[in-house]
Amino acid sequence: MRPARALGLVLAFAALPCLADEVRVVSGAPDEVSVTIYRDLFALITETRTVELPAGAVTLEFDGVVESLLPQSAVVAGTGRELSETRYDYEKLTPGSLLRKSIGKTVTLTRTHRRTGKVTQVEATIVAANKYGVTFRTAEGNEAWQCSGLPERLTFSEIPDGIEAKPRLSIRLAGGEAGKRQVRVSYLAHGFTWSADYLGHVDAGAQRMDLLGWVTLRNLTGASFRNAQVQVVAGRLNLLDYEEDGTSLVGDTADYSSDEHLREALREAEEELADEFDDSAHFETVSSCYPQGPPAFGQVMTKRDSIGVVDAITAEDIGRFSDGSEELEEVIVTGTVALREKLADYQLYRLPARTDLNARQTKQVAFIRKQDVKIDRFYALRLADEAFEEDMIEEEGDRLHPMIRIGWMNQQADGLGEPLPGGRVRIFDGRHDSAVFAGEADIRDNPVGAPVEFAIGFAQDLTLIPKLPEDEEPQVNWLTLLTRRVSLPMELLIENRKSVPVDVEVRQGQMLQLTDIRVKRASQAPGRKAGDYLWRITVPANGAAHLDYVVSGRNSRED
Amino acid sequence: MRRTMWWLAGLCSAGAFAAGSGEDKQVSLTIYNSDLALVEHLRPLEVPAGVQRIEFAGVSAQIVPQTVNFAADGLELIEQNFDYDLLTPAKLMEKAVGGKVRVVRTNPATGTETTDMAEVLSTNGGTVLRIGSRIEILREDSLPARVIFDKVPENLRARPTLSVLVNAAQPVTGDARLAYLTRGISWHADYVAMFDEPGGLLSMQGWITLANLSGTSFANARAQLVAGDLNIKQGDSPGYRESYEDRARRAAGTEANAKPRIADYYLYPLAQPTTIASNQTKQVSFLESTDAKASKGYEISFSGFQSNDEPQSAQVRVRFSNSKAGGLGEPLPAGMVRVYARDARGQPQFIGEDRIGHTSAGSDIALRIGDAFDVTVQPTLRQTTATSKRLTDYDMSYLVRNARNVPVVLTLRQKGLMRVNEVRAESLKGRRTDADSFAWDVSVPANGETTLTFTLRQGW
Repeated sequence: MRPARALGLVLAFAALPCLADEVRVVSGAPDEVSVTIYRDLFALITETRTVELPAGAVTLEFDGVVESLLPQSAVVAGTGRELSETRYDYEKLTPGSLLRKSIGKTVTLTRTHRRTGKVTQVEATIVAANKYGVTFRTAEGNEAWQCSGLPERLTFSEIPDGIEAKPRLSIRLAGGEAGKRQVRVSYLAHGFTWSADYLGHVDAGAQRMDLLGWVTLRNLTGASFRNAQVQVVAGRLNLLDYEEDGTSLVGDTADYSSDEHLREALREAEEELADEFDDSAHFETVSSCYPQGPPAFGQVMTKRDSIGVVDAITAEDIGRFSDGSEELEEVIVTGTVALREKLADYQLYRLPARTDLNARQTKQVAFIRKQDVKIDRFYALRLADEAFEEDMIEEEGDRLHPMIRIGWMNQQADGLGEPLPGGRVRIFDGRHDSAVFAGEADIRDNPVGAPVEFAIGFAQDLTLIPKLPEDEEPQVNWLTLLTRRVSLPMELLIENRKSVPVDVEVRQGQMLQLTDIRVKRASQAPGRKAGDYLWRITVPANGAAHLDYVVSGRNSRED
Repeated sequence: MRRTMWWLAGLCSAGAFAAGSGEDKQVSLTIYNSDLALVEHLRPLEVPAGVQRIEFAGVSAQIVPQTVNFAADGLELIEQNFDYDLLTPAKLMEKAVGGKVRVVRTNPATGTETTDMAEVLSTNGGTVLRIGSRIEILREDSLPARVIFDKVPENLRARPTLSVLVNAAQPVTGDARLAYLTRGISWHADYVAMFDEPGGLLSMQGWITLANLSGTSFANARAQLVAGDLNIKQGDSPGYRESYEDRARRAAGTEANAKPRIADYYLYPLAQPTTIASNQTKQVSFLESTDAKASKGYEISFSGFQSNDEPQSAQVRVRFSNSKAGGLGEPLPAGMVRVYARDARGQPQFIGEDRIGHTSAGSDIALRIGDAFDVTVQPTLRQTTATSKRLTDYDMSYLVRNARNVPVVLTLRQKGLMRVNEVRAESLKGRRTDADSFAWDVSVPANGETTLTFTLRQGW
């Protein structure tokens, strides 16, 4: 065990970061890259690089890191030296940064006469350049750029210091033995995401499904990786707001009560980020002037809009075409299946072979294929107050249509028994090429041994006609006054216009203003499910079935 | 009086500029966590006798002017001003109102230039000029016209500048000390923690991240960092107190150590002067500790009683102590802890992050890492029964599933209870953790499940 070192002693800065005698070693490109993509719009990039270190103190610079790297997450291992300082201050070359960094520098101003084509060139010094405009000085005096109405072009002789063509992470190392080292540079970077997309081909009669799961991974950044080891992590990490030095672009993840809300926020952030990484969408020069021209027009603003921006491909689109359409530029890796392993309390899926992950690319690889999974495809309807507000049932006058639900137990005996990362499930009726799209739903992370249940749509040829208790006042008599219990008789008629008999699950949930609910005098003995009372009613083909019961509860309104 | 002073200042300023615009002899920064730093410039000064203005260029652009403290022997301070008026084309024209500019027009057909002297009359919504006896609007005809300004007004600066008006009874040669508070400079700690679950160990590296968004670079500065939350009025006070289970720190430490302190805060001086450039984030290593004892735990808490159709994931916590006995023995300044674990090939992978507050040595810390994929809880409210007008029995069942191939223990908390509460029956022995909460430690076998049931009576 090594005791933690005292802080004051270790804070060894060099006097100035850029002394002339400082030794700089530049590492051009990594030998190997591993990219681990998370669902929360970031990736862990791990680079292996070989560097030749001199004996003395040295500043080691890593070129070609991913631009969106989070400096506070950077870790460099394997130098064998004491590391004192890490720096990442990448200023991208843009028209704005070029002008800002050229303040005080001499540039050439070229004016071209529109009619005669006469070219005049003068030396100019940039006096000020900010988002409100550019001011320069020539032998004649001070002028504002692009305010005269003449075509005016600025020419720079060089790119000013402090603007980098490539993102660069630099570290300062203490002196030590000279020699070749293999170092590992790892950091988190925004702009990567992945989702799980499932295709379920259902044979309703046999209650079986063939399940195919794809990992759809997406690189929104401008960085390309050659021959990279790629893996994705399935799990909900605790992440904190990026604005407060965390990693999450959607605020603290713990603040999202449900996976659905988190996923929704991430989808929105993903589109924003895709735009942000698309540099052409943000091409805009600083050019703004003093008031001039006819008063009605006020201040003249010159702004160059984006050129040739291609709409980003959304994850949604990819999912929609995920069964083989070649309209999009994604690469579908077929024939191989990503390999799963446990990582802490998450699942990690590793792409089986090294692959190129290019800028703004979407890639898909299968991670699960299961045949003949035992499922439960059934019709269900839940009677509770919130049922009318939520999407559990669809109201149509007095008639209610049950939902088509699919459920399974994730266990080997039923043909599954593999962890299923949460994602979108698209269900097709039929197990063959002629399968018909039947609906989709999002599932949450489904561990082995746990059930999944989701709705894919409404059954239009099944109706439930309730005689709901709202229709009449609860019966009040001396007994109800004494015990404060009320009874609501429920009479349900379920009609089946299908040519086959069906099972309909009816659930009695909580009712507003009633607590301590109990079901009594039911025409068929109820079971229980998630606190609700439950019946499975078999409705004959082209026939009907009845269910009658009484909900007894305590009137909480009088409390 | 004030008017006179300014006039005087104007007279003397030309001579005084050279004296005041010297470079820093020394600059010191005391940086706080809360987007605040105390900056102290020491600059050489040489001024003649009399009332004069001294300029300090290169102060922070985000200076809090009310906090400026100027001191120099033999100088009496009369007034101080902070100017950071950006030079823009619009400002240039605005400041030229009442003055003369040259307007150069180009003949659109021939390209011949003609120059007129013009007086700028107004810049409201458009620039109004007087040329000779005519009054016209600049470029109303949309034809090209260049406006040439002889001078850039002095108070439009390229760098933020603080100027002081002083009175010297006799010529002064010495040092001036200028101190002020500024926004835009802050620091926090970042930790990288490698969690070795089988070994029950945590290795930690700590970094101090300095961020300078003040708009000004400080070259060769002596810096010290203050760890501790100062009370600073910012309009939006936090006011919100984190509840117990949301906090990473579980028990405050009491181990004293020899770190320097000011008042009640820890002070971390940087050993060497450093340059903190504008818009730069730099990191300095301050802690490296291997092999602190650590363990993993599963937790979940429920407020209220409800049923859920689907299982909920349990939270994963990594617990350790920064006590000497635990292997760390250091106070930890507030910051972000990023936790890594090794995958099957031994490569470190990121598994989650949590924030710690300023943590004195000897504290118990439970970092929230994320949610367990394989450890889930499905609650069912089986029955409620009113036992009296004010009391109700809640009959709860929690099904805990474990899909891992090792047994786990989950701490399940029922919190946010009403004033009167008691457990009437339980399938496992639980404990009261609070006036309004109970907790149960539920053991679940590998690839198995355990159901916790209890009846809790509550009311008021």
